[in-house]
Amino acid sequence: MSFLIPCPHCGNRSVYEFRFGGEVKTRPHPDSPAAEWMEYTYTKANEAGVQKEWWFHRLGCRQWLQARRNTTTNEVIEAFFPE
Amino acid sequence: MMQLFRKQRMWRSHQLKAAYDVVIIGAGVHGLGIAYYLASRHGIRNVAVLDRGYLGCGNSGRNTAIIRSNYRTPEGIPFYEESVQLYRQLSRELDWNLLFSQCGHLTLAHTDSSVAGLRVRAENNQVLGVDSRVIYRDEIRRLVPAMDLSDGPRFPVMAALYHPPGGIIRHDAVVWGYARACDRLGVEVHPYTEVTGVRVARRKAASVITSRGAIAAGTVVNATAGWASMVAKLAGVTLPIVSHPLQACVTEPLKPFLDKVIVSATLHVYVNQTDKGELVIGAEIDPYQSYSLKGTLPTLEQMASYTLELFPQLSGLRVLRQWAGICDMTPDYAPIIGVSREVENYYLDVGWGTYGFKAAPAAAKNTAELIATGKTPKIIQPFSPARFYGGQLVGEKAAAAVSS
Repeated sequence: MSFLIPCPHCGNRSVYEFRFGGEVKTRPHPDSPAAEWMEYTYTKANEAGVQKEWWFHRLGCRQWLQARRNTTTNEVIEAFFPE
Repeated sequence: MMQLFRKQRMWRSHQLKAAYDVVIIGAGVHGLGIAYYLASRHGIRNVAVLDRGYLGCGNSGRNTAIIRSNYRTPEGIPFYEESVQLYRQLSRELDWNLLFSQCGHLTLAHTDSSVAGLRVRAENNQVLGVDSRVIYRDEIRRLVPAMDLSDGPRFPVMAALYHPPGGIIRHDAVVWGYARACDRLGVEVHPYTEVTGVRVARRKAASVITSRGAIAAGTVVNATAGWASMVAKLAGVTLPIVSHPLQACVTEPLKPFLDKVIVSATLHVYVNQTDKGELVIGAEIDPYQSYSLKGTLPTLEQMASYTLELFPQLSGLRVLRQWAGICDMTPDYAPIIGVSREVENYYLDVGWGTYGFKAAPAAAKNTAELIATGKTPKIIQPFSPARFYGGQLVGEKAAAAVSS
């Protein structure tokens, strides 16, 4: 097991129960120009350090949650349901 | 003959100069390769290659050293083929034995749909002059008698894409060979010189700040793998990259029984036997973004169990080492080569996912040509950083990390 994610519904579970959903980004307004949507779709901060990211608990409560994780150590600081 | 026993430095250490025409960040095969081709093909020798660690400490020394060109897209195939051709004559060119063995490469298919996928690849390869064809169990058995080709496994082998020019090279030797050649051409190689910042003024990179001081640069090249996004960020350049670890392991040596490279996308595993007799086994990329270089138990278990699906006689074999490299994955499994969008003298040779080592000579040669002439060679045009914003993705679905 490489690391655990404290699912707010299920508790500490193996990362292999989850699907990684990428870093949390702000969705542009639907009327935004194409360039902004391309930027949103492709460009990534790809942070080496603490980042906020999406996870889907596919072998558990089957809910999307967010976590703050240090990507250099895989330490999960907190996991929570998005507001 | 006495030369063999004479101690000679392969590259010398230098004080950092105040300015260089070209500063290359990353002293792996790509960075050293670019410096080598700049010096040898274009006469640009006032070049510094910087690395935060020792030479080849990143993915140049962490990959599984597989060379092949049996890709799927009309953009990818000629590019990787150029690389195979360059590798073929590189030992002679660098006067350094790279132990390149074109022993043959087999990509296995375990389902009807993957057989169809291999047929598409074989057709595309043949049209573009790459030696590659689909073979079935009878011929696979002759090439790899040790592999389990019965109906016993969970996913029995149905067919394979046979690529005779594919093979294995000594990856560290490629790094050292390029570094030695660079040194002889007057290029400076600076290990343990971490880049901590890039000063940009009016969309031009003026100088590079390192742990050993600042240096002025005419041109800056990001030739890093694993940390490309973080290095690019120092100059305010953003990239469409997500970094995932990819793990591999090596077993204790066995007597020679396997002289082909075996790859299975269905089983997410690739296996080859080195000249020393060890088996080198590689996995799929880890299913989450991370910069952690630690090996993990689930991946080791996967590598072991899938290898045993192919070679059940290896049960009981011991693993010597397990390691990880960080793969910079792009959305279309193709690299990013060209001038950055944000800074006009900042070149990118990044986004090398799981295919950077095998592409290094072609990438380096063409990147050097781009830097020297200002014109993008045709063969790397499809990999331009602008493609993501013009909706022209490459879609190279024959990369190792893809379960096609």
